[in-house]
Amino acid sequence: MRSLYSTRRTWLHGVPAWLKLVALSLGGTVLMLTADVRGIAIAAAIVLALFASLGPAGWRQWRMLRGLLIASALIAGFHWAMGHPAIGLVSALRIMAAAMLALMLSITTRFDDLLTVLETILSPLRRFGLPVERIALAIGLTLRFAENFYAQWQRLDDAHRARTGRSGGLRLLAPLAIRALQTAERVADALAARLGG
Amino acid sequence: MTTTTGTMTSTRSLSYIALFAAVIAVFGLIPKIDLPFGVPITLQSLGIMLVGCLLGPKRAFYTVGLFLVAVALGLPLLSGGRGGVAVFVAPSAGFLLGWLIGAVVCGVSMRQFMKRMPEAKGKGLLIVAFLSSLIGGIVVMYFFGILGLMLAAHLSATQATLAVLAFIPGDLVKCAACAVLVQSVVRGMPSWRLDRD
Repeated sequence: MRSLYSTRRTWLHGVPAWLKLVALSLGGTVLMLTADVRGIAIAAAIVLALFASLGPAGWRQWRMLRGLLIASALIAGFHWAMGHPAIGLVSALRIMAAAMLALMLSITTRFDDLLTVLETILSPLRRFGLPVERIALAIGLTLRFAENFYAQWQRLDDAHRARTGRSGGLRLLAPLAIRALQTAERVADALAARLGG
Repeated sequence: MTTTTGTMTSTRSLSYIALFAAVIAVFGLIPKIDLPFGVPITLQSLGIMLVGCLLGPKRAFYTVGLFLVAVALGLPLLSGGRGGVAVFVAPSAGFLLGWLIGAVVCGVSMRQFMKRMPEAKGKGLLIVAFLSSLIGGIVVMYFFGILGLMLAAHLSATQATLAVLAFIPGDLVKCAACAVLVQSVVRGMPSWRLDRD
């Protein structure tokens, strides 16, 4: 699975994850509160410059922004056609700038570091019965299951193709779901035996 | 540690939660299907409906929550390999919140139906599952999706509704698929309980 994290080091890699998260929320808030075209244009230009400063590590994830760029262009175009070009421009620039800021965090911060920050933030919820320390285990299980099911789906699809010459499509979902549940029961038994309860 | 089956504190539940989060992820990997009139549908919202119908509201909340946390931490689990915090500032971010609430509502509805008619099988079960996914997966999901679109793109309620209208037929197909899947799972695994919390 292709993660967003870039192993090519940039200046932003060295900044602690929590600091980047704080900066992201502050940046996002500023973007939300800025409503005039000039302000948002300046903010977007600053964000663009920051993003560019990451060099190739940033541009390589360009595909993440492509869809948003199209959506922003549609929004700007729509408001233009309705006779309010300023509103469209502000919305489009705000979306693009916020997405770039967020993408910078994803590109330069390791999954584990973000998880640690998340666990720290959520730890007060432990009092209400949320087993924060199990989030990492749950995400690990999810990824393992996902890999397993994708392989199972491909196997079912191959089998269907061998019988009919066509891809199985939606018809495979029911057997896939039942297999998935059976796997989950086995894993649940195994986990219960090791972790208890 | 208490062993209530409805929460993440139970190891058995943890396995199902991770499993269904993986199902949502895998549904994002299955190639997009294009409807005759050119609107692409992905299966991920089918995963959301399925989680609500099969797991009940509490575990559906944990499952979708876990999935969204994994996405936010930078795993490219959304269809098309999207992920990271950026997807939560996109114009379509409202739908992601809608997933969380929609899955819960779908679970509540399913549980209420099944409590009133615990023996529902065949056609009855199909209708119940279809209605539950319709309420949670379309009504609730689109409510939040449209709200998000209004805020991000500065659209009026009517304009935002028109913008997403093209996706409704595809989602109706998904509701039907969800109903058939729930029925097959109940047939394939008679011990599966649909009336839990």
